[in-house]
Amino acid sequence: MSTYTDTMRETARRLLQECKVELVIGFRRGSRPMMNEPCLVRKPEDADQLVWDSNCGINLANYLTNRKEKIGIFAKGCDSRNIVTHILENKVQRDQLTVIGVPCLGMIDKRKIAAATEGEILEVTENGDTITVKTAAGEKQFAKAEVMQQNCSVCTHRNPVIHDEMIADPVPEQTDVDPYADVAAIDAMDLEERWAYFDDLLDPCIRCYACRNACPLCYCPTCFVDESKPQWVGKGQDAMDVRTFHFLRAYHCAGRCTDCGACERACPVGINMRLLTKKLNKDCKELYDWEAGLSLDKRPALDSYQANDPENFIK
Amino acid sequence: MKVIKIEKSQWAEGLEKARQSMRLIGPVAEKGYHSFQELAPGQAPDLDFQNSRLSPKGLAFPQSEVMLTYTMDKNDPECGIMKEADKDYGPRAVIGIRPCDAKALALVKMNFDTDEYKDPYWLNLYNATTFVGLACDAPCATCFCTTAGSGPFDEQGLDVLLVDQPEHYLAKALTDKGTQWLQAAGFTAETDGAAAIDKAKSAAQARITAKIETEHLRGADTMALYNADFWEDVAFACINCGTCTFTCPTCWCFDIQDETSRGQGVRMRNWDSCMFPIFTVHTTGHNPRDTKIHRVRQRFMHKLKYFVDKYDQGIMCVGCGRCVNQCPVNIDIRRASALMNRVGQDARCAVQEG
Amino acid sequence: MMKNLLEFMGVEPDRIHFSWISSAESTKFVEVVNKITAKVKAIGPNQRFVKQAAKVA
Repeated sequence: MSTYTDTMRETARRLLQECKVELVIGFRRGSRPMMNEPCLVRKPEDADQLVWDSNCGINLANYLTNRKEKIGIFAKGCDSRNIVTHILENKVQRDQLTVIGVPCLGMIDKRKIAAATEGEILEVTENGDTITVKTAAGEKQFAKAEVMQQNCSVCTHRNPVIHDEMIADPVPEQTDVDPYADVAAIDAMDLEERWAYFDDLLDPCIRCYACRNACPLCYCPTCFVDESKPQWVGKGQDAMDVRTFHFLRAYHCAGRCTDCGACERACPVGINMRLLTKKLNKDCKELYDWEAGLSLDKRPALDSYQANDPENFIK
Repeated sequence: MKVIKIEKSQWAEGLEKARQSMRLIGPVAEKGYHSFQELAPGQAPDLDFQNSRLSPKGLAFPQSEVMLTYTMDKNDPECGIMKEADKDYGPRAVIGIRPCDAKALALVKMNFDTDEYKDPYWLNLYNATTFVGLACDAPCATCFCTTAGSGPFDEQGLDVLLVDQPEHYLAKALTDKGTQWLQAAGFTAETDGAAAIDKAKSAAQARITAKIETEHLRGADTMALYNADFWEDVAFACINCGTCTFTCPTCWCFDIQDETSRGQGVRMRNWDSCMFPIFTVHTTGHNPRDTKIHRVRQRFMHKLKYFVDKYDQGIMCVGCGRCVNQCPVNIDIRRASALMNRVGQDARCAVQEG
Repeated sequence: MMKNLLEFMGVEPDRIHFSWISSAESTKFVEVVNKITAKVKAIGPNQRFVKQAAKVA
């Protein structure tokens, strides 16, 4: 995918030179293996810091919230869906944006690579489908599919849903994937097991709120966990407070989540809190045939009423 | 300084002996990461680790800590009176803390133990603890302790320094507390290990290649740093989570909360983070650090400038690399420091150079 | 969907109920409340999503 880099730099430079945009949001090379840093480019001559590879998993739509400038933004499939959601929710206007579409073949999961290698990871390079990992203990190669983020391996919207320019031709979409196998596994448990499963899942949480803050959907001026009048949730490390935070954070994303994976990727302690949002995504799909961020012309499932909305939960 | 040789075959037995007079805490591997936890009888610390994921600062500064308790029961004569929480400040030893983390506790002590204020909760836990450090032979690629005023064999803040050798540990007793711990564990075989320790130390130091640039920070003009043009660029990627400050061994900020349930209440303190927007919100609703540029600048200015000026003990960072490794968007304190240091080269302030 | 998510996390299905009752439907109100009370009594006191006192250090 790094072949995109040259085209991206050219595109960014041109848009800035032609004054079509005031700034471009993209990624630059990080200081750690498998990490790139979201960055903003204001001058054409700075466009050369832009890069693209399989470590651009952070959702750039997060950086658009409430900005007023004319912006060029690189968008993978999921980013573009969150841009659509942002436009629908009035966090940014369509005519402010030049969306530069980036067909995506998936992002790599640094935790999967760390778990599959011995010793500290010193360098990770990619060549097409092959990921080469250099560690203190030696060198190891992986097929990209083995070490991809879980949300990417079941993604069915790899191509941007809106775009003004494209960096490359669209890539084929995945059709034979089961996006909700992990949700089904939990549905199969009894209540005791589920309660215990989430106790264990959320136990390492340090409430740094990286999951909330990496998410483009979480833009409330004051989050419910930060409210003090009334105080909805305790601020300590009590397990019930931690669970309340995760439950409500997820619920606030109902019908809006694109499963971009930014929350799980950002978590410093490796919690898969996506299970909660995925359950909601699955319900949205089954109950309302709704997937977030696919069209600028449709209102989201939970902010519109249809006469045929399911109501069998009302007794 | 006394050096004691501890045969690895004697190690477990010695720990059990020490346990008779104190609790033991050490690194434990869980779900693929190490954290410092109380060791059960017979449980040995797992010393095969580079850096624990969270720093052990929580040993003296738990993320959530009860300070006081109270009752709101109107029939209780002590209704509404804050009382000291009942806590165990019995002696304990931390086995295998890394030298950088122990140095960090020494830095944090400057804040919790001043002439004017002494934080009883932090000091009680700190003073009850013997720090048995493990010298670091295999630093991470992100470790920059040697340029952050610490090092893989740094002795500041430690009571004992253990140096790993193939068949044994060389234990350097650095304080009386350290000597007592070694005696309690029955480790008494003195040896002439100074040369071996020095050799291991030089080898470890040579393995650390990452650096932080700080030499011009102290003399730098504060306002020139504050108004520097790079902050938007440095802060852009930041999502304002608390990962950097929560994993940092030297971040000490906390927030106090009262929680009452069924008439019984606790006053507790929780880690807070200058990255959170509500950290500085006034009761009027005004927020002096309203944007993330303000907040990111504050974090770096505090660590790399205000602290340097206030205490003249170097930067408020020991180079453990946790924030660099764990930041979800790869904001790197070494890059920020290099930018700040460059400003310091040109914009100097005679008064601050002092 | 909220009910589904709560159940997904291990909360009993009979713990939470939704109903639509007009102000004119007093009989239905009584029926529904009786039914809910019976169901909740059957599963016993709630142990989940209940915070007793903060369990912290």
